Amino acid sequence: MTDNKDHYSMKPRRKAEFVTPPNHLKIKVGYGGLTEDILNKAQALLENNTTDFTPLAEMYLDAMMKGIEQAKNPAPNMGTEQIITAILFPGMQLKANGGMFHYELVTQIANRFIQFMEVIETVDEDALEIITAFHTAIRAVILARIKGDGGERGEELMTALVEACTRYFDKNR
Amino acid sequence: MSYSFDRVRVLVIEDNQPMLEICKTLILTFGVGEVLTAKNGEEGFKVFCRENPDIIVADWMMEPTDGITMTRRIRNDTLSPNHYVPIILMTGFSEKKRVVQARDAGVTEFLVKPFTARDLYKRISQIIERPRQFVKSDGFFGPDRRRKADPVFNGPFKRESDIAAKAAQSFRKSEASQHLTRLRQDAGLSKTDKIGDKSFEIDME
Repeated sequence: MTDNKDHYSMKPRRKAEFVTPPNHLKIKVGYGGLTEDILNKAQALLENNTTDFTPLAEMYLDAMMKGIEQAKNPAPNMGTEQIITAILFPGMQLKANGGMFHYELVTQIANRFIQFMEVIETVDEDALEIITAFHTAIRAVILARIKGDGGERGEELMTALVEACTRYFDKNR
Repeated sequence: MSYSFDRVRVLVIEDNQPMLEICKTLILTFGVGEVLTAKNGEEGFKVFCRENPDIIVADWMMEPTDGITMTRRIRNDTLSPNHYVPIILMTGFSEKKRVVQARDAGVTEFLVKPFTARDLYKRISQIIERPRQFVKSDGFFGPDRRRKADPVFNGPFKRESDIAAKAAQSFRKSEASQHLTRLRQDAGLSKTDKIGDKSFEIDME
């Protein structure tokens, strides 16, 4: 038990105070959760929304391209993180919103793109080639208005992009 | 009996108009009495101060003020009417470092886009049924970042209340070690012999 004594006598590194706020929400809403009917109705609304995603997607693709152009000729005061962010954030928006508006393949491609961008350390020529490939792929999906996962073609596209990333990481290990 | 959201007011903050409409529609379908909206963190904070809603659902990436900056203001600004308001942060990011960033800003729940109606409902339900206690320490004020207890946590113990847990863990380790030593002695094994080593297999025939 000597170990325990040591721990009990040890000075805490940080004092934390705990507060339990009153749960006003619980008092307001009561018990029982929401019924399956309500949840199904909400999901149906989501699935049947007819908003055209293409103008939004074009906006994000343009922002992504602007980031790519900046990366090719970066301003002297622009750091690597800033360069990556300028390309990554529009990509994240494409990932986030594609699936919300029935473009699941856009979400899948952009998700891979984010994974790639989150691990690269520099935006060199090789990386830019991959980034441009992702941009082209997403743009093609939007222009062809390919909704859902794109079936077999979508799978082929994803495989090609993943292989390109693998080649990049093999080369830049 | 089911939830009755008619007295609940939710503030949705999202710069993407179609997405804002989707969120609003979903929340209204859940039966929420009033959905307030704002287009960025700056406007959102103003609406929050004026209306003091029950829940905030906010996007992360917004100009000029993003969801993270707004969350920090809500938790720490003296103008904030409710420092404890539950905040659900929506984002396309799902990488651990981003989740940690949001958590450290004081976000209550993290909702990865794209999401389903059930995903959004689950976050709201967590806020109601399993509200997080708040932690006030030198460098942080916000919801307790450790909802789950980790029985095999090996990292540094930083809170006063953790010391008892750490002591108990050390005691269990010491007991297990003593038990293992006894087992070795009973079996006639030395400390270097591996249990399960082929040379110690017993011939049953």
